[in-house]
Amino acid sequence: MSRAAQGLRAWLLQRFTAIYLALYLVSVLSYGAVRDSFSYSEWRSWLGEPGIGVATALFALAILLHVWVGIRDVLIDYIHAVWLRLLLMAATALVLLTSLLWIVRALTLAAIGSID
Amino acid sequence: MARQKPAPKFLNLLLIKLPPGGIASIGHRISGVLMFLSIPLLAWLFGLSLENAQGFQQARQHLHSTPVMLLSVLLVWSFSHHLLAGIRHLLLDVEIGLDKAAARLSAWLVNLGALLATAWYAVNLL
Repeated sequence: MSRAAQGLRAWLLQRFTAIYLALYLVSVLSYGAVRDSFSYSEWRSWLGEPGIGVATALFALAILLHVWVGIRDVLIDYIHAVWLRLLLMAATALVLLTSLLWIVRALTLAAIGSID
Repeated sequence: MARQKPAPKFLNLLLIKLPPGGIASIGHRISGVLMFLSIPLLAWLFGLSLENAQGFQQARQHLHSTPVMLLSVLLVWSFSHHLLAGIRHLLLDVEIGLDKAAARLSAWLVNLGALLATAWYAVNLL
């Protein structure tokens, strides 16, 4: 793929993920704001529901992609020493992948737990 | 024709007067970086809250601790600014509000809206 097409792909990815992130967060936060408090079992069974679990895992994946494009742009703009830029990009990827897997692990546990 | 003068380099951050669009733009970046930096903490708290009933209580206590409360104020600003500036960006992409007056006004609304949302959240926290 040409460099220009790569840029277009990142540009499109940034916007599609932005729309999903906004829709998910605004609906979840307003739902959470309406419900005052919830117990552990309510919280766990809510996130264990297939629809909510998949939507949340998709949210974590969308964050990973969105943040990757954004932080990469910021690093390219401000960090000019190539070795440092690459180091920070690798650290960013590591943080994002670890966080994504940690969230998916928690969602999987919630989904398995709610079957019993 | 006279040779064009080189663009002045003026990097005193305290004296540069950014137009509202510039503030919205740099705020978009700063808020994005702040939210990125808080991801590991939030992912850890999320995992803890689903681990078991005890972990859920611990996560709740962490959320009510002073440092996390202060961080949450920063994150409310980050999220609201990033969301509003992002919506403005998407509208500009489809050529809505491109003329100078409209773009200035929408930038003001973004900058002010995020601050108002943060103030409202902080007041409710007290």
